[in-house]
This record gives sequence, structure tokens and C-alpha cells, in this order.
Amino acid sequence: MIVLSIAEIWQWFTESENWEGRYGLPNLFSEHISLTLIAIFLALSIAVPIGLMIGNSGKGEVAVVALTSASRALPTMGLMFALVMLMGVEFRSFSIISALTIIAIPPILAGAYAGVKTIPRPISESAIAMGMTTKQLIWHVQLPLAFPSIIGGLRIAFIQVVSTVVLAPLIGLGGLGFGIIQGLAIRDFPQVTGSAIIIVIITILGDRLIGILQKLGNLKTSLDRNDKLKGNQ
Amino acid sequence: MEWAFRNSSLIFDLALVHLWVSIIPLVLGSTIAILLAKIIPKKAVSSFNASLGAIYSIPSLALFVALPAIIGTRYIGPTNVLIALTVYVIAAMFFSARDAFSQVPESTLVIANAQGFSYLQKLVHVELPLATPGIFAGLRVAAASTVSMASIGAVVGVKNLGFLFLDGFQRKIPEEIITGLLAIFLIALIFDALLWALGNLLAPWTLTKLDRA
Repeated sequence: MIVLSIAEIWQWFTESENWEGRYGLPNLFSEHISLTLIAIFLALSIAVPIGLMIGNSGKGEVAVVALTSASRALPTMGLMFALVMLMGVEFRSFSIISALTIIAIPPILAGAYAGVKTIPRPISESAIAMGMTTKQLIWHVQLPLAFPSIIGGLRIAFIQVVSTVVLAPLIGLGGLGFGIIQGLAIRDFPQVTGSAIIIVIITILGDRLIGILQKLGNLKTSLDRNDKLKGNQ
Repeated sequence: MEWAFRNSSLIFDLALVHLWVSIIPLVLGSTIAILLAKIIPKKAVSSFNASLGAIYSIPSLALFVALPAIIGTRYIGPTNVLIALTVYVIAAMFFSARDAFSQVPESTLVIANAQGFSYLQKLVHVELPLATPGIFAGLRVAAASTVSMASIGAVVGVKNLGFLFLDGFQRKIPEEIITGLLAIFLIALIFDALLWALGNLLAPWTLTKLDRA
């Protein structure tokens, strides 16, 4: 039994050497955040267009369902290691971003697909009848209406990505998981717990932020709908 | 493939540990989630759901190593992993269990009351069977992610199939990592098929298709 006192963890937090240099907290933090954001941005820019396409054409639905189910069972840690081995250790930043992007694609794809799929057919048809081009239809009708569903997928993707970013130190990169991995190796448990606390706080904040975004999206689309209903009356 | 054959006994041992580390949280977690879904009053559900959602978003490795400071377990070993995975299963299952119970038609419950069922009888003979399809749908999702998440336990010293990733990376054996990936994927597939079969056995009136949405 090793029960840590809060004082020990606090001491780790306030020690100045933990805030400086390559493995200082600011540096690890920015690496953690940038890996996460790059992967999510890449996944969004790949998965949303494909999801919209599949939702509109109805082709490849089976593939989306199969992909989302299969991706849940794929151990992300193994995927990360496999890609690093295949691409070579010197390209590990590239391979972890690829792994994270691959992990983030299925939930976003499913969200975008479901979002477009559930838009009532008459809405898209009347937009076309009013003379909207395909581009306008996508930007002004389908994306706003599918937004809550896409963000729902983004939220799951975020959880998956962050839980894998924590493992980045295992392949020699930084990120906030460094304190855990290194701390376990050198049995510095205040460092392990302190890092875990930081990761927990940042992840929950990120998740909340996406949740707020989702609520705003919901609010906006429902407000728009209400306006339209009032206009009709 | 040759590597996998030469090390089949190691893989078998690791797979056995992997099975236990996945099955215990699944059984414990889903039982607790079903109980909670019945116990938690309607008013508290949304705040309870929000906190479960927050817990669910915590990276598993961070939760594994945060537990010792909270409940005083040892840093290395399976206890934290089992507890953390159970918590994830609860978080994932609470919502689907709650949803499954709410799908039980109100009139059915009224009829059960009228027939003089006690609370427990009603739960065991009416609500649980009718909620079974929904609960099993949630359980299949939870099972897949638990089996793949369990591999991260290898980082804190649980010698399951995740060990193949760490060892294969250190010794530069790509086959070892690929074997680990395939083995975990295979276990997840078997779990899924078994749960599907069990779900249909327990609720034969709703034969669901094997591929899920």
C-alpha cells in the first residue's frame, strides 16, 4: 500500500524543474494538444466530406456500419505501435498522427453520415427547387442540420484520440503521458499521480468544450427552425 | 505467422489473462449499471449521466494510475485495471440500461401490478426480460471497447495481449505487434458473437441481425 499525500503531489506540481525544458509541463502540454488537434482536424477534413457523400448517395452504408463496429474493437495502442514499426522510428511523429487520425475517422464519419441521412428529404429537395447549387445545399442546408450529429461523433473521436495520445511517450515522443510512463519506470509516484491529474482535468475540459459546442449547434438549428415556422404562420 | 506459431504458448497465456481482465469488468460493470439504472431517481439522472460522461472521457492510462492515490491500491498490477475498466463499463452501460428500461411499455407494468406481482417479481419476470435486447445491444458495444482498452493495462504491468505491443516494439518484431492486434480483434469478435447469441437466447422474440448499427 502506497498512499500518497496531497502534499507530495503538490510539491511535484510546484517544483520549478518540472516546468522547464524539453520535458517541462508547458512543453509536454503543447505537444499533447497539438498532436490531438492535428489528428482531429485531419480526421474531420477526411471524414465529414465522405460522410456527407455517403449520406446523400446512400452508397456504402454497409461499409460505414462495419467500419464503426470494427473500429471499436481495434486496440489503438497496437495500431500506434504497428504504424511506428512499419514507417520507421524516425517518422514516429508522422505515424502517431496517422494512427490518431485513423482512430478518429470512424466516429466522425458515422456522425456525418447519420446527420445527413436524418435530414428530411423535402428539405434538401426544396433547397434544390429554390435554385441552390450543390455547394450551397451542402454549406447552407446540410452541414448546419447535420452539425449536432457531427459534433456527437467528434466527441467520441476526441475521447479515443486523447486516450491514445497519453501513450505517445511509449514510442519516444512527449505529451502529458510522459510523466506517467517515466514515473512508473523510475517509481516516482507523485509525478505519476500529478500527471494523471493534469490529464484528467484537461480531458474533461476538452470534453465539456465540445459539449458546449454541441449545445450551441442544437440551439442554433432549433432557433432557425422556429423562425421558419413563425414565418410560415 | 511463423512468429505466432513459435510463441503459441506465450500467446495462449496472455490471451487467458486478457479474457479475465475483460470478462470480470464486463460482468461486474453491467450488473452495477443495471442496478443503478433502477435505483437512481429520475431527478438525479441527468447530473449522474453528466458525471459518468466525464469519467468515460478520461484516458484509461490516467485512470489506472490515478486510482492508487484515491483508493490506496498498488500502482502496478491488475487491481487498478479491473476497477477502472469496471467504471468504464458502468459509464457505457448506464445509459443503455436506462434506455432499455424506459422502452418497457407502461401498460405492461400496470398489468403486472394488477396481477399482483411484487416489485421484485415485476423486475425479474417483466422488466428485465423486456429490457434484455436493449441491454445486450449496449453490452456488445461495451465488450468491444473493454477488450481493446484492456491492452493498455500492459503498461501498468498486467501481462495480457497488450504485452505483445510493448515487447514487440522493444525487440523490433513487427510480427509480434500484428499478432497482438489480430488476437485482440479476434477475442472482440468472439465476444460479440457470443453476446449476440446469448441475447437472442434470452430474448428469442427479437432475433436481431449479427451486424449492428
